[in-house]
This record gives sequence, structure tokens and C-alpha cells, in this order.
Amino acid sequence: MTSMLGALAGAGAGAVAGGLPERRVRPIWDAIDSRQFKNALKLVSALLTKHPNSPYALSLKALILERTGKPDEALSICLKAKELLFSNDSALTDDLTLSTLQIVLHRLDHFDLATSCYEHACAKYPSNLDLLMGLFNCYVRESAFVKQQQTAIKMYKVAGEERFLLWAVCSIQLQVLCGSGGEKLLLLAEGLLKKHISTHSLHEPEALAVYIALLEQQEKYADALEILCGNLGSLLPVEVDKLQIQGRLLACKGEYYAAAEVFEKILEICPDDWECFQHYLGCLLEDGSRWENRTIQDKLLKMEISDDQTPFFADDLFDVRISRATGFVQKLQEKSGSDFIRCPFLADLEIERKKLLHGQGDSNKLIEYLVLYFSRFGHLACFTSDVELFLQVLSPDERLKLLDKVLKISDSDSLGPVKKLGRSITVFKFQEMTRNAGQIPVTDIEDSALEMVQMYCDNLPLSKDLDQQESMHGEELLSMACNALVQLFWRTRNLGYIMAAVIVLEFGLTIRRYIWQYKMSLLHLYSFLGASSLAYEKYKALEVKNILLESVSHNILPQILVSPLWTDLSNLLKDYLKFMDDHFRESADLTCLAYRHRNYSKVIEFVQFKERLQCSNQYFLVRVELPLLQIKQNAHNVDEVKCILEKSRSGAVFIGLLNEMGSKSLTFNEDLETRPWWTPIPAKNYLSGPYEDISNISTEELVKERKALLPKYIERRCLLPRMIYLSIHNAFLLKDGVEANGSVPDPNILSELMSLLERYAKFLGHPLNVALSVIGDVARGSKSVEVFGADLIDWVNLAVFFNAWRVSSHEEAKVAEGYNFHCWKDVDSLLKKCLVHKLETISTDTSIMSDLPLILQLMTEPLAWHCLFLQSCIRILVPSGKKKKKTGSGDHSSPKLASAVRDSVQSLIGFMEELQKWLREWVVKSEDDNLKRQFLSMTSRGGAEGPEKVYKILKDTVSSASSAEVGDRIMGALKSWNPSEHVLRVVAEQRAMLLQTLSICESRIGALNALNKQIGQV
Amino acid sequence: MTWAGAHRLIRTGVATELNRGWSRRDCKSETNTAGGRRKMTSIRKFRCEDLLRFASVNLDHLTETFNMSFYLTYLARWPDYFHVAEGPGKRIMGYIMGKVEGQGESWHGHVTAVTVAPEYRRQQVAKKLMNLLEDISEKSDKAYFVDLFVRASNIPAIKMYEKLGYVIYRRVLRYYSGEEDALDMRKALSRDVDKKSIIPLKHPITPDELEYD
Repeated sequence: MTSMLGALAGAGAGAVAGGLPERRVRPIWDAIDSRQFKNALKLVSALLTKHPNSPYALSLKALILERTGKPDEALSICLKAKELLFSNDSALTDDLTLSTLQIVLHRLDHFDLATSCYEHACAKYPSNLDLLMGLFNCYVRESAFVKQQQTAIKMYKVAGEERFLLWAVCSIQLQVLCGSGGEKLLLLAEGLLKKHISTHSLHEPEALAVYIALLEQQEKYADALEILCGNLGSLLPVEVDKLQIQGRLLACKGEYYAAAEVFEKILEICPDDWECFQHYLGCLLEDGSRWENRTIQDKLLKMEISDDQTPFFADDLFDVRISRATGFVQKLQEKSGSDFIRCPFLADLEIERKKLLHGQGDSNKLIEYLVLYFSRFGHLACFTSDVELFLQVLSPDERLKLLDKVLKISDSDSLGPVKKLGRSITVFKFQEMTRNAGQIPVTDIEDSALEMVQMYCDNLPLSKDLDQQESMHGEELLSMACNALVQLFWRTRNLGYIMAAVIVLEFGLTIRRYIWQYKMSLLHLYSFLGASSLAYEKYKALEVKNILLESVSHNILPQILVSPLWTDLSNLLKDYLKFMDDHFRESADLTCLAYRHRNYSKVIEFVQFKERLQCSNQYFLVRVELPLLQIKQNAHNVDEVKCILEKSRSGAVFIGLLNEMGSKSLTFNEDLETRPWWTPIPAKNYLSGPYEDISNISTEELVKERKALLPKYIERRCLLPRMIYLSIHNAFLLKDGVEANGSVPDPNILSELMSLLERYAKFLGHPLNVALSVIGDVARGSKSVEVFGADLIDWVNLAVFFNAWRVSSHEEAKVAEGYNFHCWKDVDSLLKKCLVHKLETISTDTSIMSDLPLILQLMTEPLAWHCLFLQSCIRILVPSGKKKKKTGSGDHSSPKLASAVRDSVQSLIGFMEELQKWLREWVVKSEDDNLKRQFLSMTSRGGAEGPEKVYKILKDTVSSASSAEVGDRIMGALKSWNPSEHVLRVVAEQRAMLLQTLSICESRIGALNALNKQIGQV
Repeated sequence: MTWAGAHRLIRTGVATELNRGWSRRDCKSETNTAGGRRKMTSIRKFRCEDLLRFASVNLDHLTETFNMSFYLTYLARWPDYFHVAEGPGKRIMGYIMGKVEGQGESWHGHVTAVTVAPEYRRQQVAKKLMNLLEDISEKSDKAYFVDLFVRASNIPAIKMYEKLGYVIYRRVLRYYSGEEDALDMRKALSRDVDKKSIIPLKHPITPDELEYD
């Protein structure tokens, strides 16, 4: 808005804006800016009485109407303005009018109309740069790269400015990178630039960067080098920037030695640039893998690649190159006077590692360097992540040898207390990295955990004078202790360890409440314990918002999706969608801003980033989960569900999403490093399975597996809304069928549902008839529910929707031959079997909280879909009003249907009551919860067992600490610590989850009873 | 961009910063593509995709996660003032975002936010990032000074800025959400030969008296 006012600024008395007197227009803008829309509307109406055919005045009115929440009226005024612009040749067509119109149309999601206004105006005034620019922006908003290019070229021809040519070149690059343009287009862009340079040269560093990138994209490295080292190279004012590009180009060209020399120069200026050192060494060893077979984006973005492919290299040459590197590194080390420059010392390790990979190294030497690196930087928190790579080339025995040496050093050195603490932490981490966790005796792990907690407590005085907002010394120790305690639980199944982990972290948060790592671990621990509301509380405490919703919310989303916390879930899903949709709405404007400020590389980045977010797996999932949640919440009211479905064109929108997913590959933007070790990816939680050796399981493999499985899961979810709609609709069609002389319902609807069923079955790995046979077998008891494995819900969904299809298809007899599945009966029996199976498993185990989500899902998904279908059936059987007793000519099918529906409703009531009884029993049991008992014994006994010992350390710390030692703030926190509060809250929240599930169950029973009553009228 | 967002304090482990805000108003200043003298740690320009990787830095309670248009506006207008420090293994150590603005002798670099991940604190990462921004302001944009705003209560941060050569130029009353005062700290660059830009003001000012929003 301010830019509009800006356009008005400077207009003197009698000035004109959009063909109207400026003095009349300004107050309107002022009113809009100060949100006095009523006043603005009054002013604009007055203006319109005098200028009824002014497109600008109309645009202003539309803008005000849109702002006051009247989109339909705003659109119709926009259309009127557009019509005037198109039909009335004398109407003023200026950028002020069009950009105002564009703002409104953009907000109304009618880009196309704005574009056509600009297109019309540009055709009328082909040399008007303002209008062309407006048109260009419209094409940016529509991602119409070809049209952007054509418009930019027009502007270039009109004004001859370098920037417009670059806009065209960017548009060409976008066609190649994000559109369907072939790489040959790059040649065209190169030609355009060459021609311009020959007459005008280049004047902006970004223009040079684009030119070089363009040549690189075509692998014309020599040409790019020539440009860089020629006159144009002086456009880059910073030597290092230039050298970076030069080194990269030389390496890509295969001139490794020359490239290495360039990287040497950079390292002399920036001795701590680790990435540069890796490039340097790679080039010395002529390792082309760093540069070859990478897409141009990778090259430009300098993305990390595996550098362990040592090329074939003659030994003597290898020696020469390595000794050059060694000599250079030595020089760097001598020059570096700062304690903070790590790269030259880490370089020794890297050289030794390369030697080992080449078959010439000496692991003792590597160990020696590691020990040296430890003595220099062992106190730093990043030490272990620095050296992780190098431990991988050592054998288990060598690692133990290293650990021995490190332990000796850490004992012998005399350091200040902070550094000493840092080193001790590093040693703990080092131990974790060097030993195979599976082989460490439980007692050793327990000792470590206790030692960590003790060390944290002992070092509290070090943080005495720190501000509460500053990181405390030794904070990491509690996270590490938690990791060890969780490991102990996994190995021993002693729930006390989990509770000890909770207490340790909550203790830490009592002392300093800002530590996100503690909160994150607690979030996962509470989730595991089934205290979903506590987990969500911790998630909220992390203040995840904006882009973090995309990268961090995976920590809570899967759990909350299957919890009864529907309000919180709804908020989470809505916040996420709002963030994404807001970004998609404003992203093009920001791209326009980058164009305007001539930051062309950002133009490309913005467009690619938007695409990346648009293809986000989470974005696809959340879009479908929100309506599914709303359907679940309203499953007792089929009319409400129909309204919900209408918003997504009766679920067809999600079938469209499926097609979109087919044409693009999903992106995975989650930052998995924020997750604790026991659940490295959302679908995996080691704690829910028995103890196993995971030292050989790489997170990369898990991620790969997830990337393969998740799209299939999302696809299945996307099918649901449409299937729900079709099944409900089918039932209503049945009504039509019944009344319309018993004719068959709309065959299109039926065939669509059938095709979706086939698709759904395919996701389960079977053709539909086979899948139904399996379901039939389970329903009739010849196979166990266990054959469904983890996809139980999907199998039941399939049965439910197939039933809906078959009931309406009037082809029961015919299909019975093809499918080993008994309509109604099998569905009822299947639902019951699944539930009973679950309840039986739980009654022999204490895993109630971990199984609760599945029970809830069974009750709120397949069962709810089935209930919706039942409701629709009852609607046709018990028509409302006077028609109640009137029956159609298709009446003959009703008694059969009525009896099937009645049986099904009663069967559902039967086992829902069973579930209700069972849940009530658990609610009572939860009063005397296992966890609570364990904790009570832990706090009452003297600390003989592990979890108790942890508690004892904390208790002793609290009782022995003094303000003089730890300061008033920490002392106050220690005093306020109340461990029993945490345990009692866990137990209370577990109970609350049971109660919420029970309440959903009871409301479902209520709804079913109502249905039963209705069907009784037939 | 919400005002509430801009008014929150951002900080690093040791030090922290935030500017008063940011305006959608089109700035006429020219952006110059120059890098800075990158010393030590791998420091490179911030890219959009880093937004998906900075969680471990931004989950820190005082590091504000702004809305997208805030970040992208900085990237679109002042990409040379937005840098990220990376450690071995491509881990994000911290980042700095800033801008250049003003007219005549008040043409200056501004630090909007600088933050460092807990794992990399007490290693001078913030200092390196600050030096880089000062370098760009000095050499590429020929600015007269660099300034920043800090909560008056954030003593560790103020101390760190003082160590880096910043002085308290003035106090801005109730700058943070109308509650806490901000200190406007400045460091003169070589173009300000007489160091006029850093002569402290005698009286505090109110937010509406600020030259730039």
C-alpha cells in the first residue's frame, strides 16, 4: 500500500493520480492505511458519483470491499473496472490503476484477470515501461517463465538496460531449471549476454555471476575462466570470492593442480575454511568425484558429496602431493596464532585419513593426531562432531586404544575448571562413539549415567554468576545422561529408567528453563509414555513457528495425529497450512523484489525454494489430514460431513493431489537431527520393540526407506475423503434407485468407487479380490488379525468401503462369485475381531498407552466411515416428514437392507460397549499405576537400584547446595524442585488420555443408539 | 511482517542482537554484490535452503524465527549482509543478518540478528560474523558506521559488543514491545574520520524519534 502512496507523493496541487484529482484520492489511501474502511468507502463512493466510469476509483472501491471481507462484491467491481478498461478506449490505463486492481485480484486469487488487464494495457501502450514491468510481475506470479522472458526482452528493447536483459536470462534459466525448457535455451541466453557485452560490457557483479553460472551450466569451464580472469573479473571486489569461483572452475575443467594452487591461496587468507581445505586436498589428489557427475545446482551450491572415492593414483605421485599438502598445512599451523583456528590441525587428520584410504596410512599416526587434536580442542563442545569422520576409519580395537590414550591425557592435564569440564564431557561422548553400545554391560552404562548426573550437579557452582539466559556449563551432561537412561530402559525394560530420564531433564529445566534439547527429549519421552498432552505442552514450549513448522513439527505430528487431542491437532494443522499458504501467496512478490534489486541468484533460489515447499510430503499430508480430522469430529452427523467434503469438491481435490504427487517427487524438509537417538525418524521408535544391536543401522538407510514408504501412505490417506464421499453418496443414490423404479444408481459413481478400491488394495500389495479374500478369512476366523501387520487400519478401511460399494451396486449376487467377502457380516465381524484382538494383546501386557492410539484410530476412522454409511442408509430407509410411510416401487430391497443395517448397528453397539467397559477398567487401574508405584518405591527406598540412585544424586544435591556455592538463582530453583510432581503429572495425563478416549467411545455409543432407534422405526 | 515480531529480542549465546524493525517501504539504496574477507570458519552467503537447516540454532529461546517475508526480503535486498557459518559436517554454527541504510553521513551497516548454536558458543563465531558484516559495510558499501540494538538488560551481549569496539550511542526508551529499553550501539568505520557517528547522545530518545524503522 505504501508504494501506492509513494506514487502519489510528490504530486503537487492539481496533480492527477489514476486520472483523478490527487487531492480526492489521497484521503482515500490515508483512510485505507489507517484501516478506517468505513470512511474510505464513503469517500470512494462520493468520488464514484462524480467519476462513475473511472477504473481507478472502481479499483479503490474493490480494494476497500475486499479488505472489509466482501470478496464477491470486490470481484464484481473488479470485473466492471476491467470491462471499462477493455471497452472504453478513452479510459485511462495506467500502472497505478492496474497495480491497485492487481492487489485486489491477487488477494482474491484471480491472478489471471490481473494478467489479462496488464496484457491489454501493454498491447495498447507497447513502450510503457511501467506497464511492461507490471506485466512482468504478473508473469512472475503465474510462474510463466516463457512469458517473463518475452516481456523482459521487450523491456530491454525499449530501455536498453542491462537489468532487463538479466531478467530475461533469469527467466530462461528458470525454464531450464524449473520448467520444461531444454538446455539448448541456455545457448540463447549466452548469445544474448555476449551480444550485450560486446556493445555495453557488464556493470553489476550479479550479472557476471549469472554469466558464469550460465557457462558452467553448459560445462563451458574454459570460457567461464576466461571471463573471470578478464576485465569483467574486476566486477568481483572481493578476492576470495573470485578465487573460490576460479578454483571450482579449474577443478571442473580437470585442471586439479592449478585448482589446488588457487585453494592454497584462499587458505592463506582464510586458514580455518574447512570446506576449502577439503577442496584443496581433493584437487591435489586429483579426486574428480567432488566435481563430476553433479548437477549444476550442486556445483553452484557447493553441496557436500561423498569424498571417499580415492581415484587411482600412482604411489609416487600420491606421495609428492601428500607431502605438499603436509608442508602447506604445517605452514598454516605455524601462522595460526589463535586458539580458535581448528582447520589446520584437523587437516593433519584428514591427510592421514586419505593416506589410509589409499592404503599407505598408519592408523597409529592417525591416533596420535587425534590425541593431539584432543589435547588442543578436547574441551570444545564440537570436538566429537569434528572428529566423527576420522573414527570411522579405525577398527574397534584401534578405537579402544585411542580411548585409552585420551583417558590418560584427560587425567594428567591441569586445566581450568571450565575447560576441564568440557574435556570430561568430550570423554563421555568419545566413549559413546568408540565403544559398541550393545557390548557395554548394563552396569557400565548405569555408572556413566550416574557419573554424568553427578558431574552436572558438582559443576553447578561454575554457572553461579551466569545470566539465566546464558548456556550453563555442563548442560549437555543431562541430555547425555537421559540418552544413557533411555538405553538402560531399552535393555532392561525397567520403566523406572524412563522415569529417571524424565526427572533428570525436568530437574535441568527447573534450573534453566530454556534448554530446547531437554524439552525435545521430554516431548518424545512423554509421547512414549502415552502422556500426549504433556508431549504437546513441551512442543509448545519450543515455540515452533514459521519455517520451523516445516522442519521441526515432525517431532510431534505423527503422535498427535493418532491422539485424542483433536483441538490441539486442529490448531497445529491449521497453523502449518496457514504458514505454507501465506508463503506461497507472497513468494512471487519477494521474487519480484529480488528482480528489482538485481539479485538474480536469489530469484532462482526463491523459485526453487517455493517449489521445494510445494512438494513437501508434510504439506501433502497435512492438507488431507485436516479434513479427515474434521470428518472424524463430525462423524455422528452425515450432513455436516457432506458440508466438510464440499470444501474439497467432495474429496476430488485430493484425487487431484494424488495426480500431482505422481508428476513430482516429494521433498523431505524435516530436520531429523533434532530427534533423539531412540526415534531417528518419525516412523521408528526403538523403544517400542525389543532390544537389538543398532550399531549397523544407518540413519541414511532409515531415511531412504521412509522416503520410499511415506508417499504411499500419503496416497492412501488422499483416497479416503473421496471414498467417504462416494460411499455416502452411493447410499443416497440407492434411495434414488429405490424410488426410481429400482434402477441402478449412477454407474459413474460406482465405477469410480470401485477404481479407488482397486487402487487402495494395490497399496496393500494385492489385487482387490485377493485383498478381500484375506479380509474375509480374517473376518470368519480362518486367519488371524495379525496378517494385517502394521496396516490394520487400511485393511479395515478397505472392507468398510467395499461393503458400501457392494450394497449400492445391486450386484451382490454377481460379485459374490468373484469375491470371497460377505457384505455387512464380514465388516461387522472384522471390526469386532480387530478390536478384540487388540484388547486381548493389551490385557496380557502393560502396553496400554502405546496401543491406545490404534484403538482410537479404529474407532474414529474405519468404524466412523462405516457409521457414516449406516447413517446414509438409514436416511433412505426412514425418510423424514410425510414420506415416512410411503414406499417406492423398489420397496422390495428395503427389508433386506433394513435388517442388514439394524444388525450392523447393533453389532457395533455391542462391541463398543465392550470397549467402553474395558476402558473404564483401565481408568480405574490407572489410579494404581505401575509407573507411580515404581516411582514411589524409587523415592522411598535408599537408592539401591539404578533409577533410585539417579534420584538420590539429585536429592542430595538439592539438600546440600548453598546459595554461597551456586548463587541465589540456582539455589532458588533447586528449592522449588518437586520430583513427585512430574511423575504424578505423567500418571494423571495418561489417565486423561484414557478418559478422553472413553468419552469419544461413549459419544459414539450414543450416536449408534440414536441410529438404532431410527432403524427401529422401519 | 508483524511489529510484534520485529520487537522481540534476538540473541546469541553470548551476544545477541536485533534491530528495531523493518519496513516494507521500498528502499532506494543500491545493493552491491561484494563478499567480505572470510577468515577462519567456513562462512558463506545464506541461502533459502539454510532456513530448513537452522532449527538447532533457532530453537534457542531468544533466537526469533521470523516469518518468511522477513528473511526473503533480507535475501532479496541485502544478500551480502546475510551469512552463515558452517562447521565440519556442514553443521550450521550460526548466522548473521543485516542491511545497509541511511543517507549522507548516516549511511551505515546494521546488524539485525546474529546468533550461534549452543554447540559452537564461546568460540568467537559471533565475532567472526560481526567482523564480516563490518568489512562489507566498510569496503563494499563505504558506510560510515555499523549499528545494532540490544536489550539494556542483556549485559553479556553488551560486554561482547564493547569488546568488539562498539560504544553505546544512545538509549531508546521502551523499544522492545513498549517495555524494555534498547541500547543503540555503534562502531565507527574508517570513512567516519572524526568518529562523529559514535559521539554518545546525552539524552535518551523514544522509538518514534528513530530515523529508520
